[in-house]
Amino acid sequence: MNDSSKQPFVPEKVVQLMVDSIFKKNGIKPEEMKRNISDEQKQMLREMVNDLRKQVDQFNKGNNDITKSSD
Amino acid sequence: MSKTKWRALDHCDDTGQNDETVLQEGQQSITTQQDSFEWIIIKDSEDINVTTTDTQAAVSLELGIQVAIGVVLSIAIGSSTQADQVVQDLKQVTRNRQSNRQKTIVEQSKDVDIVTRDTDIAINLQLLIQILVAIVISLDIL
Repeated sequence: MNDSSKQPFVPEKVVQLMVDSIFKKNGIKPEEMKRNISDEQKQMLREMVNDLRKQVDQFNKGNNDITKSSD
Repeated sequence: MSKTKWRALDHCDDTGQNDETVLQEGQQSITTQQDSFEWIIIKDSEDINVTTTDTQAAVSLELGIQVAIGVVLSIAIGSSTQADQVVQDLKQVTRNRQSNRQKTIVEQSKDVDIVTRDTDIAINLQLLIQILVAIVISLDIL
């Protein structure tokens, strides 16, 4: 993890709690969900999340900013 | 003829009045829309560098994460109506955000670097990715 993911705008625990409460509200149990995902899907989802996380970090570092200069 | 104004294009008339003038007028109001208006006006100036957030890239990244959240939930939750409800509940948390209105005016200036960041879109992106990570952590994927 790099700097931007170490200092999130919203504490990670808050987000985790929020997600848990939304699951609970809709009567969804994480244990049941885990059974629905195959190992192959897990691997694919892991890659997808890591890839998106990398893109957000790059964005936060300003790597995607546009620079225009006058002559 | 008396000289009253320094003009960037009159190179020979550089009298040293290179006062950098950057005026910023920012107003934020709470809306449920995703607004981003950025104005940068450069007038009668030279050697100005402008660096700004690539909103297009941010919006497509935002969409990408939203789709990813939908995909994870629809795989994990058997029932599509239940998955839709969870997505709806998550959207309520992420949707409300302030609109970004920035105006930057540079007039009669030289050698100015302008860097603007759309912090609203950055915060929203960060929150969305945190939600996605929290979901996959609760599924023992990460």
